[in-house]
Amino acid sequence: MSGRQCPACNITYAYELETCTFCSARLEDLPPNDSCILAVTEISAPSIGHEDVPYWCALTQTSDGRHEIVKLSRSASVGDVLPSGIGVAVETVHTVGVLGSGVMARGLAELMLSQGHHVIWTGRSLERLNSSRDKVADRLARSMDEDQTREALGRLTLSDSFSALEDCDIVIEAIVEELKPKQDVIHAVEAVVSEDCIIATNTSSLPLDKISIGMQHPERFGGLHFFNPPTRMRLVEIVRGPDTDAEVALFMTRFAQSLGKVPVPVAAGPGFVVNRVLMPLLNEAVRTLEDGIAPAEAIDEAVRLGLNHPMGPLALADLIGLDVVVSIMDDLYERLGDEAYAPRPMLRRLVSEGKLGRKTGEGFFVHTPPPVSG
Amino acid sequence: MSAYVVGASKTRFGPSSYSLPQLAQQAMVDALIDAALRPTELKAFIVANFLGGPNESQLHLNAVIAGLMPGVRLPGWRVEAACASGGVAVHQAVRLLGTYDPILVIGIERLSGLPGTELTRNIGMAGDVILDQSQGLNFPATYALVAQRHMQRYGTRIRDFELISLKSHDNSTKNPKAHFHHKKVTQADIDAGATVASPLRLFDCCPVSDGAAAVIISSRPVDSRSVPIVGSAVCSDVISLAQRDDCTTFPAAREAASSAYAEAGIGASDIDLAEVHDCFTIAEIVAMEDLGLARPGAAVELVRAGETGIGGSIPVNPSGGLKAGGHAIGATGVAQIYEAVTQLRHEAGERQVARAEHAVTHNVGGVGGTCAVHVLRRPS
Repeated sequence: MSGRQCPACNITYAYELETCTFCSARLEDLPPNDSCILAVTEISAPSIGHEDVPYWCALTQTSDGRHEIVKLSRSASVGDVLPSGIGVAVETVHTVGVLGSGVMARGLAELMLSQGHHVIWTGRSLERLNSSRDKVADRLARSMDEDQTREALGRLTLSDSFSALEDCDIVIEAIVEELKPKQDVIHAVEAVVSEDCIIATNTSSLPLDKISIGMQHPERFGGLHFFNPPTRMRLVEIVRGPDTDAEVALFMTRFAQSLGKVPVPVAAGPGFVVNRVLMPLLNEAVRTLEDGIAPAEAIDEAVRLGLNHPMGPLALADLIGLDVVVSIMDDLYERLGDEAYAPRPMLRRLVSEGKLGRKTGEGFFVHTPPPVSG
Repeated sequence: MSAYVVGASKTRFGPSSYSLPQLAQQAMVDALIDAALRPTELKAFIVANFLGGPNESQLHLNAVIAGLMPGVRLPGWRVEAACASGGVAVHQAVRLLGTYDPILVIGIERLSGLPGTELTRNIGMAGDVILDQSQGLNFPATYALVAQRHMQRYGTRIRDFELISLKSHDNSTKNPKAHFHHKKVTQADIDAGATVASPLRLFDCCPVSDGAAAVIISSRPVDSRSVPIVGSAVCSDVISLAQRDDCTTFPAAREAASSAYAEAGIGASDIDLAEVHDCFTIAEIVAMEDLGLARPGAAVELVRAGETGIGGSIPVNPSGGLKAGGHAIGATGVAQIYEAVTQLRHEAGERQVARAEHAVTHNVGGVGGTCAVHVLRRPS
């Protein structure tokens, strides 16, 4: 357990306090210790944060008499020994490489830093990385005090050279959604990292076996598809390509869980699950608009309330970026051959007019920038 | 200083379309009528509530209560100690009588209408956010672990839990204000109940109720129906089972019981009936042992012999308890006082415990992080 003990009074505190309440002595971290299950209950009632049932909660005791509640994803028996650190909240600190300087890479860097990992963030332009770093610092400072923010940023290294990635346990690329650049960076990464390093792509639709062409060890490569913004969206699609090793997939699953995410394993088919289901919906919303069935606001409101979606499809398309939507649809149309994925003319027209959604201030809706708060 | 319950009331517990202010007003007005007092004669009020914030987006409840008596500007505040909020509020009132007299204590809660996953999470706020909540230890699971340890240590059986459930449901059919007043629960119902957190099944768990209860506490009796509170104690303890060496007993309950008995000048053997915090059937067993009604591990002997029924040697939860009477969390501790008062006035009708002289109430927050114990005596 994450407890602390007073070396003078021997009193144990469950919280990460600095000093003893009774004698003001500096508290010491309790060493990790294997524990034995005293009682275990199978829980069938889901709650927010613990939706997947059944799961198990064990009351454990270490040999030196400390207790802990531990969530388990499988059944266990009284008397079973649990290795220290098995609890869901206990994370192993990794060194995580993040490639790219776009919105997703920034979100991933923030997520990893907030979860206590070391981050090596590489991109082509140090200048751009530096400005992204400032944005991450601002975001972290919303939930951390100055010391904590400084400590978190102390775990961040920026580099325009792939060689900086050599000590990474896992590298996640989140660069532009095009095949050739992804292939290039994956090869460059594989050339510098250790044998054990797992290499993941955050691609939302490109075929994994094409990205990994030419890799020496494609079995260490898989997809970790986070959703934007990754600090808040709970889903991670765990994409297993044809060559991905089972243990690599398992590591990616556990890693996603340790970040507080819900991993869903998917095969490396076009669009995985979410985009494959989403794109026809977006496209149909555009066609409904083209056909004059209802104005954009009404289409979004109907879908939001009728399907219980948090956001309407046209607003979502604006958020994703209409250029990104078109490129995903083009790719899915090509690979699936289904007209449902062929981008509607209005989508193409808006893209050609430079109306790409939120990022350009206009798409299906006009987006005014949020007022600067004082 | 002496303390008397001069007025007491509760609403029906159970799902209700009434809002918090509506429920509170019913209980408050009934208590005032019972005490033959007018709102302007109150000197202060305390409102007990647990989840007004997360469930209803409503905090600042003292000012909501003030809105039930516009123009009467009294000292008033809210108390929150999870499921023990009501008992803690009554204790505060008893201890404040030198400053304010009389004091209205009102407990309210609304729990219906929320998705189950949200309500389970919110009730879990009574457990430690890191030690318990992060590991998915919801409330049924907490008491499931207590049950497992009690079974291992004392040989307590599933059948004991069933007997408690059957007894409480039988009692609640005699209590028109109980959540399950109209529901007859049989062994077949219990057998068909789904497991919630092993070994606890549906009928080991109390329902979540809407409801309110109110008592008016004064240092002077107003009439022969004023019931003296002769012992009042509150104790806090660590919040999580992970911080305890033993989870088959709640030290806060033992401390509070011993203080309340000492103040009353009685022992556990003088108690004629107990209203205890049986949020789960296992909790009734732990409560009886913590209150000294049975030695550790021996409560089941009374349960098996039927001695905890209304006609038994030590009736426990004649109201139906939380298990069948309902659990409107912030109101529960106050409603226990209402039941004790009703019994000691010998006004409990079908569920009246014969020759009731001393009643004890036992109100627990979380898994023993807070406990309020009160001893009340029959008016002389």
